[in-house]
Amino acid sequence: MVSPEMQKLAQERAARMQAAIELKEPDRVPFTGLGGDIVAAYAGITAYEFEFDFEKNRQAAIKWLKDFPADSPVGGIGGLDNLAMSVAFVDFPDLANQFFMVNGPMNDVLNMKFARFPGRQLDEYSSRQFIGGKNMEPEEYDELIADPVKFSYEKILPRIAGNLADLGSPTSLATMARLGMVKAQQAAEMRKTGAALAELGYPTGGGSTFAFAPLDYIGDHLRDLPNLVLDIRRYPDKVKAAAEAILEVLVKWTLQGKAAGAVQAGFPLHLNEYLSPKLYREFYWPTLKEYILRLREEGMRSRLFCEGWHDAHLDTFLELPAGWGIAAFEKTDVRKAKKVLAGHTCISGGIDVGVVISGTPAEIDEYIKRLLGDMMPGGGFILGPNVGNLPRNTPIENVAAVYEAVEKYGKY
Amino acid sequence: MREELLKSFVDMDEQEAVRIARELVESDGGAVAVLETCKEAMEEVGRLFEAGEYFLSELIAAGDMFNQIMEFTLPKLQGDEVASIGTMVLGTVQGDVHNIGKDIFKVMAEASGINVIDIGIDVPHEKFVEAIKEHKPELVGMCCLITLGVDSMKRTIEVIKEAGLRDDIKIIIGGGRVSQAVMEHVGADAWADDAARGVRLSKELLGKE
Repeated sequence: MVSPEMQKLAQERAARMQAAIELKEPDRVPFTGLGGDIVAAYAGITAYEFEFDFEKNRQAAIKWLKDFPADSPVGGIGGLDNLAMSVAFVDFPDLANQFFMVNGPMNDVLNMKFARFPGRQLDEYSSRQFIGGKNMEPEEYDELIADPVKFSYEKILPRIAGNLADLGSPTSLATMARLGMVKAQQAAEMRKTGAALAELGYPTGGGSTFAFAPLDYIGDHLRDLPNLVLDIRRYPDKVKAAAEAILEVLVKWTLQGKAAGAVQAGFPLHLNEYLSPKLYREFYWPTLKEYILRLREEGMRSRLFCEGWHDAHLDTFLELPAGWGIAAFEKTDVRKAKKVLAGHTCISGGIDVGVVISGTPAEIDEYIKRLLGDMMPGGGFILGPNVGNLPRNTPIENVAAVYEAVEKYGKY
Repeated sequence: MREELLKSFVDMDEQEAVRIARELVESDGGAVAVLETCKEAMEEVGRLFEAGEYFLSELIAAGDMFNQIMEFTLPKLQGDEVASIGTMVLGTVQGDVHNIGKDIFKVMAEASGINVIDIGIDVPHEKFVEAIKEHKPELVGMCCLITLGVDSMKRTIEVIKEAGLRDDIKIIIGGGRVSQAVMEHVGADAWADDAARGVRLSKELLGKE
């Protein structure tokens, strides 16, 4: 049973985030907290245990959150993007989202070629990794354009899932049955983790689902990024037609997450920093923009994680209505983003994990002080790390220095 | 014809650049001209990248053109016509299995005249040591994409030190998560978060710029 005190804390945390998203000044700067491999190390367990053992994962998350509380939690077993499988099963709304993140135990069943997990393909202290791969030839664009769902099921799935290589075979049928069993066990574990987080004062419900820029589906799962940027020059019309065909499928998929209760769609952008503003505007942005607007019409807001440098594309956000959602940045300086987007777009990020890894506590204090001094005025800012993963050997006094500085300088 | 090759290459006109190179390579002394022109073009593409006019997609397209053209040009060159300005052992550090950044850097480094010994991804610390002993490079390049790579670079450099090899080489680190602070933390000599800067600094470390 969640105590009234913790219920109140959860409401405060949710309200803080909500105020920033609505471009207002909350009581304090909302802080997403630090996490990643360090959470497992702090609990004295391996990355393998953290990724495969729900009980150990939950205990590690609880220990971390008790010592390092923030406005959103860490916790739950993470996974790698398995979008091709969600696309293949998009006509089954109860299943498509279930397949989107392939975690360690699911991968033991599926054997995805793009996935590397600790204690399996990697040593037990390593981070899980997505390595992508080329799974489609340029001659196949027409097939993809004609029916992205059929193409994903018939052509891509057998190429990327080792245990679904021969669709309809006993091995593939057994694999799907086993996957169902694993998912049922994990659903029960996720409920336990959710309850544990509620007891620590974290909001439940009103969650987030995923979304993908159509070209990132092609880059991550079909052609791989280097081949896709060559395709843009060699087969520009096909790439555009494919992005439009994929958009329809992905919007349908993301709205299935809304039906399950999500209010926000998170887009991890990958191809953005590869493209010049000209190519970005011509190939990448049109379908991404339409995606965001269509979700908005359905009452969902979007959060874009702009991987790498996004400086050259900042002004495209201004084509969206003010208050459309959140832009989170990795390498783009959030101060620079604020100059362009203040009063229009909620900005998230700001803490360079390189500083947390290699600075001293005094340097970190000064760093956070300056960052908040620049970013808090006017509101519309959510503080967080620029990437989600702090490595295992990050000095814990540096982590503590971040939280202390946020406490000290984060009040409006 | 060299002018036309240079222009079409730098303008990313793949078909035209390959066509001209094929024609030029057949003429007397043409292979050397093609090699030199393509190196010059790659340098210009790198300059445009650092100036913010070109992006990663142009670096990838240029690298792909360079490789296509070299495939039919290199067999026509004598050994002494392909001079190297130095040797680099290059790898993605232990624990990280990503290769895109390393591969973009590699082709640009080769185009600048560096002899690159690519020892792969997820490279154990000791394998760097072995490769340094075997190839006696002036430079060692370490890449990582994920934050875990920072710890791994630090450890790799410690192992190189323990083997008594650190003073013989310059070390440049590269990848999405590296910075000046990370460079100082791991004990490298230079850092780059893009391939064009990486090649420019590598040449500086070799005393070639």
